[in-house]
Amino acid sequence: MENPRFDPSRTTSGPLIPRMTKNGSRYYWWCQIGGWGTLALLLVLNSTTLEQKLTHKDVEIMLITVLTGILVTHVFREVIRSSGWALLSVEKAIPKFLLGIVLVCIADGLIRIGLADALGLSSMKAEFMTRLLTLTADTGVVIVPWTLIYYLFHYIQISSKQQLDTFKLEALVKELELKTIKAHINPHFIFNALNSIRALIDENPARARTAITELSNILRSSMQAEKLETVTFEKELNIVKDYLALEHIRFEDRLQVEYEIDEDTLDQPIPPMMLQTLVENAIKHGISRQVEGGKVRIVSDFKDDYHELVILNTGVLNGNRNSDGFGLASTKNRLQLLFGQKANFDIREVNDNTVEARVLIPVDMSK
Amino acid sequence: MIRAIIIDDERLARNELKKLLLDFPEIEVIAEAANAVEGIEKIDSLNPDLIFLDIQMPGKTGFDMLSELERAPNVIFTTAYDEYALKAFEVNALDYLLKPVEPKRLADALQKLQIEEDKEPLSDHPISVNRSILNEHDQVFVKDGERCWFVKLSDIRLFESVGNYAKVYFGPNKPLILKSLNALEERLDEKVFFRANRKHIVNLRLIEKIEPYFNGGLLLEMKGGEKIEVSRRQTVKFKEMMSL
Repeated sequence: MENPRFDPSRTTSGPLIPRMTKNGSRYYWWCQIGGWGTLALLLVLNSTTLEQKLTHKDVEIMLITVLTGILVTHVFREVIRSSGWALLSVEKAIPKFLLGIVLVCIADGLIRIGLADALGLSSMKAEFMTRLLTLTADTGVVIVPWTLIYYLFHYIQISSKQQLDTFKLEALVKELELKTIKAHINPHFIFNALNSIRALIDENPARARTAITELSNILRSSMQAEKLETVTFEKELNIVKDYLALEHIRFEDRLQVEYEIDEDTLDQPIPPMMLQTLVENAIKHGISRQVEGGKVRIVSDFKDDYHELVILNTGVLNGNRNSDGFGLASTKNRLQLLFGQKANFDIREVNDNTVEARVLIPVDMSK
Repeated sequence: MIRAIIIDDERLARNELKKLLLDFPEIEVIAEAANAVEGIEKIDSLNPDLIFLDIQMPGKTGFDMLSELERAPNVIFTTAYDEYALKAFEVNALDYLLKPVEPKRLADALQKLQIEEDKEPLSDHPISVNRSILNEHDQVFVKDGERCWFVKLSDIRLFESVGNYAKVYFGPNKPLILKSLNALEERLDEKVFFRANRKHIVNLRLIEKIEPYFNGGLLLEMKGGEKIEVSRRQTVKFKEMMSL
């Protein structure tokens, strides 16, 4: 399975906008009132400190500034929202926002001139263009920070939402992978084994009886595997021995098995059915593809602070591993989920027609 | 008597099937093979009426083996649970047995086979004829990606050369096979299959219409609607054959 790539454009444009309007609206109005209120207060303070008294005119100018400010920024916000600028990437957003800021400032300037003239607040000394420029620049001082705050707020909100979505998705994928690998026992193997056993019933009834016991052990442990996080290596090894004994019935001389087990490693914990899956892959992709058959070798030993498990098999790694590539990736995930980042799994081709799968599990010294 | 070969990489699986076949005296198992290469050898030398074929084998799969055969015998596939093979069977309605084989299913599969043989008794094949020439009742196994077919030569209306491959036209399908037109021409019965030009071999029995064409050539319209030009040189030959 291909690792599902997270596509931000899909998640952000869909479910995010309604949430923004619902929750964001309250923040928006608090910020608007708070921001412009602070500005009004500053203007009032400014007048009183400069001129020692607060005239009617000062209050009117202050009100015009604040109210037109709220009006134009609110219109600006509606434009931003309806055209989705806050969702754009930074590079795409900057020119749009710059243009928006200029237009908003000019509009604000025009409205303020119009209102000042209508209320007779202007001193009529300066030329129209000069007044417009002054007022536009004056507005700019407020609008630029307003826009920055607005954009940053949404930027942070969106990226944290994206991150959350990514985490959720990854967790889901992991859970699914674990479920799949735990439930995994190859039906092709089961039916082939049953077929071999049926043939053995006449040919070698004693062997047929033990074969049925071996198959039962494997089926039982694959069912129990769903309940357990880890099992001892010894238990898992016994299953693998049963499994290989059954495959030996099938492949006969084409399958040779070698074990090289350090007895002290038998008590180490490993994920249930993991060794089994790896050995099964060694048979499926290695031995069963060789006309002359081959060898499977299982090595378990301590190496530095690790329990090292190696499965060697005759064969070559095939580049095209759609189905089992998933199993291999999730083997590593599963190990790291259980034993931390130090645990590792890799598979590679070593010399002369041999594939080596290697599992490293850090040894817990406290036990 | 139906002469059969069992091809399976597991000795026990072959034994099991032989044992089951003891209940069918009309089937005689004349040989066994443990992989595709052995299988091809035995089929070529013994010319069986029927093969039991495992899909998953070391080296080549059963499907690969069949598409390498010049002429496909009757085949009953055998497989344990194998998703890929099961899908191929579903798509192509090939007959297959799941291992361990149920005796009743085996009886059904053999029964079906015999009905088909009654329709076209094997004895119809003129044994004296050189075996390297394919009879129009012969079938070939064609594999194109996931799809595969058993096709009677008499159902193929056209072979078209595409690079090293030949495109085979039958029914609504036109899969590619890795064979040159020249190699095909050598194996096909010239009474039925006619080389119309450098790029096409047509089935004379599946021509819908014949029209005169430029330069004294001919234009053939096949049953599937394909229009094939007959080169001037071949037109002479074509007219000779048809005037009989």
